[in-house]
Parts: sequence; C-alpha cells; structure tokens
Amino acid sequence: MFTWISEFFSLAKNYFIFALLLALSLFLISTNHNSYTRGLQAAGLVTTAYLEAGVQHVADYFLLSSRNKELLKENARLIDTVAKTHLALDENEQLRQMLNLKSQSTTPLISGTVVGRSSDGGRDFLTLNIGSDEGVRIGDPVVNGSGLVGIISNVSGKFSLVRTLLDADSRIAARLVDATADGLIEAGSYGELKMSNVARRHDVKKGDIVETSTLSSLVPPGIVIGMVSKATDRTGNIFKDITVKPAVDFSSIFAAFVMQYEPPAAAVKLEKEAIKKK
Amino acid sequence: MTKRIIVYIVIGTISILLQKFLDNFASLGSVAPQFVLLFVIYLSLREGQLFGTAGGFIAGLANDMLVTHFIGFTCLVGVLAGFISGFFYRESEVDLAGRTLNFAWISAVTLFLTELLALPIIAAGELNYFYVFLKFTLGTTVYTSVFAMIIVFVNGKKSRYV
Repeated sequence: MFTWISEFFSLAKNYFIFALLLALSLFLISTNHNSYTRGLQAAGLVTTAYLEAGVQHVADYFLLSSRNKELLKENARLIDTVAKTHLALDENEQLRQMLNLKSQSTTPLISGTVVGRSSDGGRDFLTLNIGSDEGVRIGDPVVNGSGLVGIISNVSGKFSLVRTLLDADSRIAARLVDATADGLIEAGSYGELKMSNVARRHDVKKGDIVETSTLSSLVPPGIVIGMVSKATDRTGNIFKDITVKPAVDFSSIFAAFVMQYEPPAAAVKLEKEAIKKK
Repeated sequence: MTKRIIVYIVIGTISILLQKFLDNFASLGSVAPQFVLLFVIYLSLREGQLFGTAGGFIAGLANDMLVTHFIGFTCLVGVLAGFISGFFYRESEVDLAGRTLNFAWISAVTLFLTELLALPIIAAGELNYFYVFLKFTLGTTVYTSVFAMIIVFVNGKKSRYV
C-alpha cells in the first residue's frame, strides 16, 4: 500500500506541488487585507522605497534644469494668484464679519515626494517618501493641486504606499455636483474612472464635476475627483453608466499631500453603534 | 547545483529590479513587460517543471513584496508560468534555453495561457472583460514576447543556434 502511494506521489508530484502552490497563492490573494500580509507588504515597501529614493535622486539630478524652468513659471503664476487672493481674502473677511460665519477648519497636510510607482495587473500604487514618523496613517487621504490621488494603504517609518483611484480595489463615495447625486467611484477602463450607483432619474451631462461626497468616512467632502466624460443609460439597468476623467494626471505626479483627516467623531460613533446593533 | 542556484538567484534579483525600475519607462499604456515571468520560463526550461513551478512561486512572492505590493498575484502567475512552460522542458535541450527562437514562442504560449487563466483576478469587478483581455492578456503576451526575442538575439549571438 505504502509503495503504491509513494509510486503514485512520485509520478504525480509535479501536479501535487502545482496544486499546493496554486492554493497557497490564492490564499495569499484572499488575505491581502490581513495584518500578516500587510506586514509582508510593509517589509517590501521599506526595502524598495530606499532603492527608489536613491534612483530618484539620480533622476532628479538630470531633471533639475527642466524642473527649475517649470518652477520659475509656477512661481510667476503663484505671485499673480497671491495678489488676487489677498484681494479676495479681504473681501471674504468683510463678508464673513457681515454674515457672522465661523472660519472653516482646515485639515493638516503633510507634503511628500513620489519616489515610486507600481502599476501592474489592475493594481496602481504610488510610494511617498513620508511615513509614520511624519504622522502618516493607514487610511489617510492623499491629494495634490488637481484633486484626490488616493488613500494610504500601508505605512512604514519613512515611506508610505498610496492606493490610487486607478487601483482595482479603490472605492470612494463621490458626488455629482450639478446633478446632486451620490455614487461610488471605482477604477474604469483606459485610465479613466467609473461612477456607479447613480440612478437613471438624475440628469448627468458631460463636463459635470465629480467630487468627494459627504457620505464618505474616508475623505473630507468637496475634493475634486474628476469630470464626467460620458454618461449613458443601459436598457434593463436602473443605474447610469458614467465614465469620469480623473482630475489628477497620475502619469506625471511627482508630489502629493497626505491629509490628516479625522471624520466627525459623532458620525463615527453613530456608525459604530449601528454596526454593534447588527 | 549550489552554483547554479546562486546564478538563478542573481538572475531572478536582476529581473525583479528590472521589473521595478524599468516599469515606468518600458510600460506602454500601463502594459508592462513581465521580466519575472520570462525568468520563470527560463528556469523551467533549464531545470524542469517542478523547479520552475516552485521557482515561480518564490520569484512571484519576491516580486509581489518588492514591486506590485499585492501579495499573491505574481505568485499565482509565476506558478502557472512555471508549470505550463515545464511541459516544454527537454533534458537534451537545457543548454539552448534562452538561446533559440524556441524560447520566444514558448514564452508567448506560456504568457498567453498564464494571463488568460489569471484574467478573472485581473478583471475582478471590471465589467469590460474584452478590454481587460485585450490589454492584459494579449498586450502583455505580445509586449513581453518582444523582450523574449531580444533576449534570444542578444544571448544567441554567443551560440551558433540562432
């Protein structure tokens, strides 16, 4: 009996090992949000982030001249903007006093440089050269001057990993400003995003702005996500098919801000209580 | 054998570094050449199916930790690539692995089948399966096969077989 089993195993060992490793791979995929798997991700992140930062320094050296020209142009534009902003602030202050409004609270921002990008098989991540030492936490939203970039998915002491809006696992609650409709922003095709769960009754047009929703517990409301590039109705579907062009140019992003966003405590408490009751 | 394993570790590390640092430069519309899978196919043609399958898992895990940050995905395609290309293993032809045009077409067939089998995971939540098939299955197969041809022509110059 034992001989028969050992003969059978020696003949089919390739298939056994294949099935075993295949099962192990699928197990690892299914446990990607598990703390142990996150540990593996963090270990890899730390290892490569140092290498990437080194490569980035070399690349920066060769790009300094063109970057300087860009910064000079940007500086001139900002000087003009600052002058206009001063006027607007004065006017705003007067209006605030007139309306007796409280000044808006601002979310603290931590600036970081993009030192790496991974885009493979529907996955899309950026590596920033800031980490938990600077106060970055898992789940913090990441923005740049154009709009929402993504959410922090893993952090080490000196680096952090951003799951961008183009990642297959990214889901952000969003709002169509003109149509006042809420939905869900996910990665779409051809470098675009798709917005789901928007009922057909809403009038959505090309060019409508999409921003983060008040329903989101991950990101503060009002951050631009993109612009509707196509909105169609499909027969038999109660929701619209909406394609959104992202506001952020993910191919050329070189810096971003991590927002230390705290969702309203009362809302979080209510949500937790509701989950407990279930 | 120990010496050969050290050589494979070095080649595997180089392929992961290429995957990491050439990704942004060599990608065409987010379709990246799969250097790690080419390494796994080479491994399988040199050492056989079992070695290739196990090597595919290890190289895939290293690639997932260092490049994709999505643990398990490249392990899966690595295991598939090692296993499929193992069927083309011929003990008498191990020295020709990566030197003849056989490597290019074996890579193309393996990559196509591997990416096709991994399609349900790549296209998870994606309604446009045809788009994902065109981009990731055909795109990756064709683009990576071009690099397999380059390897054959560069490596083959050292031998009389090309």
